[in-house]
Amino acid sequence: MSGRSWRALFSLEWGELVTSRAFWLFLLAIGPLVGQTFLHAASLYAEASGASGGPAALAQGLSPLDGIFVPAFGAYDLAVTLLYPFVAIRLVSEEKRNGAARLLLQSPGSIAGRLAVKLGGLVLFFLLAWTAGLLALLLWAGAGGHVSAPELANLLLGHFLRYLLATAIALAAASVCEGAASAAIVTLSFTLGTWALDFLAAGRGGWLDRVAKYTPTAGLRLFEHGELRLAAAAVFLLASVGGIALAAVWLESYRPVAGRVARSAAVVVMTAAAMAAASTLRWSRDFSEDRRNSFSRADEAALRRIREPVEITVYLAPEDPRLFDLERGVLEKMRRVIPDFTVRYAARTRSGLFERGGEYGEVWYRVGSRRAMMRSTIEAVVLQNLYQLAGVAPPAREEERSYPGYPLAARLRAAPYLFFGAWPLAAGLAYLRTRGRWRKKWKSVAAQAV
Amino acid sequence: MPPGDETQQAERGALGPPEVLRASVSPGSRLLEVRGVSKRFGSLRALDKVSFGLRRGEVVGLIGPNGAGKTTLFECLAGVLPADTGDALWNGRPVAPAKRKDFLFYLPDQIAPWADQPAGRVLDLFARLFDAGPSRLARLINALGLSRFLRESVGSLSKGERKRVLLALALAAPRPILLFDEPFDGLDLRQAGEAESVLRGAAREGRTLFLSIHQLADAGRVCDRLVLLSAGRVTGEGTLDELRAKTGLADGGVEDVFLALT
Repeated sequence: MSGRSWRALFSLEWGELVTSRAFWLFLLAIGPLVGQTFLHAASLYAEASGASGGPAALAQGLSPLDGIFVPAFGAYDLAVTLLYPFVAIRLVSEEKRNGAARLLLQSPGSIAGRLAVKLGGLVLFFLLAWTAGLLALLLWAGAGGHVSAPELANLLLGHFLRYLLATAIALAAASVCEGAASAAIVTLSFTLGTWALDFLAAGRGGWLDRVAKYTPTAGLRLFEHGELRLAAAAVFLLASVGGIALAAVWLESYRPVAGRVARSAAVVVMTAAAMAAASTLRWSRDFSEDRRNSFSRADEAALRRIREPVEITVYLAPEDPRLFDLERGVLEKMRRVIPDFTVRYAARTRSGLFERGGEYGEVWYRVGSRRAMMRSTIEAVVLQNLYQLAGVAPPAREEERSYPGYPLAARLRAAPYLFFGAWPLAAGLAYLRTRGRWRKKWKSVAAQAV
Repeated sequence: MPPGDETQQAERGALGPPEVLRASVSPGSRLLEVRGVSKRFGSLRALDKVSFGLRRGEVVGLIGPNGAGKTTLFECLAGVLPADTGDALWNGRPVAPAKRKDFLFYLPDQIAPWADQPAGRVLDLFARLFDAGPSRLARLINALGLSRFLRESVGSLSKGERKRVLLALALAAPRPILLFDEPFDGLDLRQAGEAESVLRGAAREGRTLFLSIHQLADAGRVCDRLVLLSAGRVTGEGTLDELRAKTGLADGGVEDVFLALT
């Protein structure tokens, strides 16, 4: 296909997006949604910063990532989950319903190419929708708010990957199902399924917990905490690719259903295998400005010097809050740093209340042939003991620049007018403009005036 | 005849041959051979070993009663629907369904693609999608009288207006074989005549047209040869004279031959 053909196809797809009501409803809703979450977050942040005359929280606790960016962009997670699927589904379902799909099946280029063009249009749509979030950021920065570019970029990457996955699921559902309604039910069922998985896996441990780490909600949470984990990003991407591949298989209407089912099974198996492999990737990067996902730089340098295998056996049940503290405060940070590191979860019950044997609550650390037990989940205590066990000199406690925190009682007087007034008005006018009604009405009004 | 009509008349015949026909294929040679195409929907046998051929530059009519399998045949040939068995041979070589779009284009009936976009925009973009030249599209628009409603959305057009837009869409696709399902459906007498003239012009330039036509009078007037389909089977194929000879109806019209063979 020539460049001219690709541009024509993109224009057709973009035209379909722009003339769909779901497109405009999403754009209409996203402004006030982002505005509401942003303003609420800014108000709480201001209170915590001592705006209303009460005691201010410790400045170090006030991070714009947690206090402003995550809540503001959290509106996108909600919209992508509940509103956006209808936009993506329509792009395929309407084509099948009105006959355009049968014409396009005969056009130059491949089905994969046409899906890529649809994806391009939907990405452009998302960038357009992101202007509401960017408006919130501009208002925050304009009011003197602190913005950490790496933190923000990582958060936006997480939302983008989440969006890609939602797109892939919606396109796959629309390709497989006969109509838009069925596709919407399938897509929302998938979402509910992941929520159910999150709920079931909480406090269970084992394979269920490992799988639940990669649900859209859990995956996005990593980015919201300032961490870029290659495994999570790769799993999101591979799942998206698998969804698009599934859509391509089902759009091959010239292939018998049995053939498409067989190919779908192959796609699912290959995608699952790739995702399983990707989940073993260990590279990650802490983009949080307060380094909440990492030990101090000095500790990380010392831990990297441990060359012997480090194995930790944890006798804490999945529902035990001490396990959560240990995971969050110690084990996840160690996984990112220690070259040869494994953790074994040895508790036999879910809650630990009825655990038999006296070892419950113990955490055993083995470095090479040496072992030691401790019950503490406190980072400093664990590290000190680990250095002793590994025969590594603990690092000198240097003066590392601690996170200063960014209290701010932002003045955002214009924000409500922008998000609840100007944004819906602009979206409505743009909708009428694309429909041509505004132009016709204006012309008829002008003609009458003359 | 008003001056505008003369220009339209000239343009109907001068659409220019698609690129692919510049290959040396002699007029009258068999372009497409359909062999043993069968299709079942559950227990219903929609097509049963359908075989026939199409030659370059001819207009062939596919006629048959309701439920004969005409649309199913078109969709199987175009690769839109998978056939259970059978082949389509292009210049003597079997072609997989996914590849048939390289030499044929099928225009379904009762569709309203890109309904919310202006008809002119859809035509222009579709022609660009197929790398068809703008002059070709302009001649089609004039020949089919589409200028009046290019700004209107496809979905807001009347049935006949939309049919003419879709005819232009199909004729813009530079494919040597065109399949039209009910090309005159929704057109009044004058519009049907104009459409027929445009289709004849395309055939004179070397394109092969395969038309599924419900109105037997139209089929008899427009088509060089007929393929009669009944209950999924080909019950007759040939010119009207050949079919008369087959049925023994020396003076029979298309309706008489149709009733005898279906």
